[in-house]
Amino acid sequence: MSNSPWFAIQHPLTSRRRFLLGLFSFTLPLILWCAVSYTPFIWHPMIRVESPGGVSWFRPGLLVERAVFATENAKALAANQPAATGTRANPVFLPEPHKVAQAFYTAFTTEPKLRGDVWLHESLWRSIQTIAWGFLISSAIGIPLGILCGAYALWSRISEPVIDFIRYMPAPAFGALAVAVLGINDAPKIAIIFVGTFFQQVLVVANTIRRTDPSLLEAAQTLGCRGFRLVLHVIVPSKLAELYTDTRILLGWAWTYLIVAEVVGVSSGITFFINQQAKYRNFENVYAAIIMIGLLGLATDQILAFIGKRLFPWETQRPSRLRAFIVRLFSSRQTPLTASPKSPAISPASTEARS
Amino acid sequence: MITVPRSLRRLTLGLTLAALLLSRATAAPLKVAYSDWPGWTAFAIASEKGWFKQAGLEVELLWFEYGPSIEAFTAGKVDAVMVTNGDALVTGANGAKNVMILVTDYSNGNDMIVAQPGISSLKDLKGKKVAVEVGFVDHLLLLNGLKKAGMTEADVELVPTPTNQTPQVLASGQVAAIAAWQPNSGQALKAVAGSTAVYTSADEPGLIYDTVAVSPQSLAQNRADWVKFVAVWDKIVAYLNDETTRDDGIKIMAARAGVDAKEYAAFMSGTKLLTLAQSTKIISGQTDTFGSIAGSSKIADEFNVKNGVYKESQPVATYIDATLTTDALKK
Repeated sequence: MSNSPWFAIQHPLTSRRRFLLGLFSFTLPLILWCAVSYTPFIWHPMIRVESPGGVSWFRPGLLVERAVFATENAKALAANQPAATGTRANPVFLPEPHKVAQAFYTAFTTEPKLRGDVWLHESLWRSIQTIAWGFLISSAIGIPLGILCGAYALWSRISEPVIDFIRYMPAPAFGALAVAVLGINDAPKIAIIFVGTFFQQVLVVANTIRRTDPSLLEAAQTLGCRGFRLVLHVIVPSKLAELYTDTRILLGWAWTYLIVAEVVGVSSGITFFINQQAKYRNFENVYAAIIMIGLLGLATDQILAFIGKRLFPWETQRPSRLRAFIVRLFSSRQTPLTASPKSPAISPASTEARS
Repeated sequence: MITVPRSLRRLTLGLTLAALLLSRATAAPLKVAYSDWPGWTAFAIASEKGWFKQAGLEVELLWFEYGPSIEAFTAGKVDAVMVTNGDALVTGANGAKNVMILVTDYSNGNDMIVAQPGISSLKDLKGKKVAVEVGFVDHLLLLNGLKKAGMTEADVELVPTPTNQTPQVLASGQVAAIAAWQPNSGQALKAVAGSTAVYTSADEPGLIYDTVAVSPQSLAQNRADWVKFVAVWDKIVAYLNDETTRDDGIKIMAARAGVDAKEYAAFMSGTKLLTLAQSTKIISGQTDTFGSIAGSSKIADEFNVKNGVYKESQPVATYIDATLTTDALKK
């Protein structure tokens, strides 16, 4: 195994290598960030003033560009004043990794100072709820409508042209309108996430449904299945795994609307934290909060991926112990995987019985 | 003899009860939108100390970004919003009529035109780019400064920028100056070493008054409550003016804004908080100058019309109600 090549076209890697590379993809940016932060000669375009010397407007801790520092020092020296001293530093928008890690920790451990205020984890939970509601409502309408559009030309022509038109309208543009209609609390925020997700969702789902294998349809029709039962028992089950993947991708989109959604109406959730900290240039807190959102997104996606593997084991190409386990799990229950066990829709016996 | 059927009597009784309950329901809390400006954040103190409850008031303070707070008021979702007197006119001209019942403070340096290093006066900005949130209060500050320097808006090139992004825009070096209020203006000064405030609201005290603006409907329905609300303000100012309690007050404000108390304390000197007596003088004064809210708003109105912020001159007098502060003073 060890002498199999690293570079082989369309050839799966060993699971050990996959793990190592996955780890590397996370550590590489971190290594770069550390390098830029901790080694002065790579970048460090600023100087952090330590003692102001003879420069009147320098203050200890002030960040100035190196060129400005040099000219001001030259001026001071020319006027027989002591030179200022300082150390090279990065601009304020690039804090060091350990500062961000500290901020990450303190953000969670700082208790709310005002009555009725919330801890950061409570803000995050509020954000998650906002996303969840927006996405649930969108999916509850969007997925069925998308399936109808993908299956029937009539539904497609009735709804898709206008949806195609509306989806170009940026969701944030509806902010003031959402407040006017829905008030200032959570409803307009959920609405923004809905607007950001729904229209794309219908089109994506419809597109997936439209790509149903025609031979599958023909077979089902030959066997006597028709009407809406074709949609329910043939088209949807055959595309279920892809619909699941679509939903995962769309959930990621819903997250991208969070920050615009949460400034609508009363400040809330993680956005309040980010905005306020950015306003006061506490960028280590800003980075920490952005990373929190990233971790949350990654975690949800991984959980969904795990569930997906259990639900659709035949979709997993890569051999793995997990898959073997799941296949065994399913086969031991003798559950057919593509069709619902209660109504074997494409068996001729059942169609005869009902006709 | 006709007797009233029992069912009908019951019905009347029920209706009366329902009406009673309904009238209770209309005594909903006063919804007040506020945002990050020291003169307004100070209301958090009253809420934290329970002073509204003590005054027999139910007040719901709602924390917004400045822009969204005005949107919420315009949409009729809150009873009052904290805005500058100039923005009260702009909001009114855009369809959300409001009445200023209290002047909390005037900006005494927190609003600034911050220019790149090497630019020492507004005159040096001739032909250069200035980033400002067009139509908002610091646009007015800029126009006022230019006028004093013998220039007009045509002498500079305006770059429309949301106020909270002005520090980054100045730091990018793409504009010669920005117009912003704290904390953004202070952050811009920090972001660009050597930059200076070439003109501030301290150069024209009274150009920017910060007010509590109430919807005419809420004012008509709950006038007595608003008088109580105004009276609480005096308690807040006293708390902040008293050396022994000042730090505690600032601590609460900083907590509301989500920053360090030391950081927030720096903005206090640029905000001249007004006691109820001082506020009453300014809100009831009838000068043509910046010394009264009537005068200041009249000047702001002329600026706004002349610069196309809105088209028709606003009836300034209808935006001001001085009777609430006078009533609160009598108590």
